Amino acid sequence: MSAPPPPPLLAPEHVELIARGVSTIVASHDLAHRPSLMRALGSTITPDGRQVTVFLSRRQSRQLLSDISSTGHLAVVFSEPASHRTVQVKSRRPRLRAAQPDDAPALARYRQAMTHELSLVGFAPAFAQAMLAGALEDLVAVSFEPDEAYDQTPGPKAGRALGGDGGTA
Amino acid sequence: MSVALTDIRACLEGAIPGVMATCASDGTPNVAYLSQVFYVDERHVALSFQFFNKTRQNILVNPQATLLVLDPVTAAFFRLQIRYLRTESEGALFESMKAQLAGIASYAGMAGVFQLRGSDVYEVQAIEPLDGSPLPAPPARGGHLAAVRRGSERLARCGTLDELLNTTLATLSDALDIPHAMVLMMDAASQRLYTVASAGYPASGVGSEIALGQGVIGVAARERTPVRIGHFTSAALYSHAVRRSVQADTPSLALATDIPYPGLAEPHSQLATPILSQGRLLGVLFVESPLDLRFSFEDEDALVALAGHLGAAVDLLQSAPDTAEAPGETAKAPPRPPGLAAAPLQLRRFASNDSVFVNDAYLIKGVAGAILWKLLTDHVQQGRTEFTNRELRLDPSIRLPDVSDNLEARLLLLQRRLAEHGPDLRLERPGRGRLRLQVARPVVLQTVSG
Repeated sequence: MSAPPPPPLLAPEHVELIARGVSTIVASHDLAHRPSLMRALGSTITPDGRQVTVFLSRRQSRQLLSDISSTGHLAVVFSEPASHRTVQVKSRRPRLRAAQPDDAPALARYRQAMTHELSLVGFAPAFAQAMLAGALEDLVAVSFEPDEAYDQTPGPKAGRALGGDGGTA
Repeated sequence: MSVALTDIRACLEGAIPGVMATCASDGTPNVAYLSQVFYVDERHVALSFQFFNKTRQNILVNPQATLLVLDPVTAAFFRLQIRYLRTESEGALFESMKAQLAGIASYAGMAGVFQLRGSDVYEVQAIEPLDGSPLPAPPARGGHLAAVRRGSERLARCGTLDELLNTTLATLSDALDIPHAMVLMMDAASQRLYTVASAGYPASGVGSEIALGQGVIGVAARERTPVRIGHFTSAALYSHAVRRSVQADTPSLALATDIPYPGLAEPHSQLATPILSQGRLLGVLFVESPLDLRFSFEDEDALVALAGHLGAAVDLLQSAPDTAEAPGETAKAPPRPPGLAAAPLQLRRFASNDSVFVNDAYLIKGVAGAILWKLLTDHVQQGRTEFTNRELRLDPSIRLPDVSDNLEARLLLLQRRLAEHGPDLRLERPGRGRLRLQVARPVVLQTVSG
């Protein structure tokens, strides 16, 4: 009989933050340890918090996608613009696939949520649409289970590891 | 397409913060949101070091970082390859960033959380414009260069300090749509700045003082660097609100000699530019606004250019030789003889700080106070009304500093304070290097020693 899986790193409040559709930034690095990064054009999370998917534009993220493929290292920050609530997750086991037509509803929900978030900090809908524009056929879905998670909301708890017992980011 | 850092300065000022990726020694990437991406020069940016966090650990072992910024109008992305060089924890760059961060922190509800420990300076190695679907760029405004040109042409026609300052303030208002402004001059002996001209306030505040290092104005003067804040800050360090410092030598007078600072009670944007000439600090040109993010880097560039022209022109005036000859007897008769029936003005001077009171109301102090006293004393004792700059410079009772005495600025301050104070005393400038004292009532002089 196998051991039960470890409890998820992300608490319900963090899952809720990510599921709502907030600012999503993705980073990796090349073999010379030069970092690469880009803003994702969409993100989803399963209700148990074990499966995260971020969508990247190929034309904007060539180096980043190449680095994720070659090193398997990934860091993603989720942040709510109006409140600065921020979570960072890291993984070494991402899977890449082309975005599919059945991803479209999730991407549309994300754009709608971000348009609302950005309106709260003073940006017009057209700005959000331009910032998050991307054709489905240009998008790559990067899915992973978080190996590490950190609370990065500015303040005394910034860098605190979530779901574990130590470490900072 | 090749992009220079100067082309994307607007991206460093947006309300959407930049993000940065770094790598740990094993390569593990880390993403951080940035409070500030500060333009240093054509090849360098500085980022605020506020916390001992993962980013900090990473750049110390692997200086290579990648930065993503966004145009705040078009939503176009730019990715920068940057390399950490050094951390500055004092000086002009640090103080400029610290003041700006105080505004950002207050605006973000992070006052007390955001605190600048250092300015991390990075070399910008490459800038990559990213494919996307940006909004059309608005037509280029180009108004700043035209405004600087207008100001430059107008300043070049000025022959007195009075005209220079009025022209500067008028240019800010007419050409740059900046109605709230003031000019302060430096008093090296007391290490304080005093207001000589202002525009856009209910009271001129001429004669009000700010200590070197106090507020946005004092920091700009001390560090000799522009300081620009885009939000209201609750940080007391950057407030110019009057603080009634008590002078130890004359405690009973200290409160009475304060002239209220004229500026806005809650400025949401502030920009202070040092006025320099030949490497010396002459004063500060200061503008403010009740609006958030009112002043762009282009406004800062324009003000630095205008302040440079103003500084050179002020310096030229100050260093011009005193050409006026000693006044002859013909110039002696006062145009407005004291009315016989008028009650005399009671003037008191406190020797400890050269402060002068008219019928118990504070008028002026310091070097300008000493100048007024010399003029009044000669007037009462010898009936004189005509004087020259030269004799003021030579008079030991005035104690002008030897170098860069700022005499013109002190005379302008005195002239303006007299005009604001009442109708009976006037200082006029009938020609270069000459002064005329107008006394409309009899005066009684009394000196209080100690």
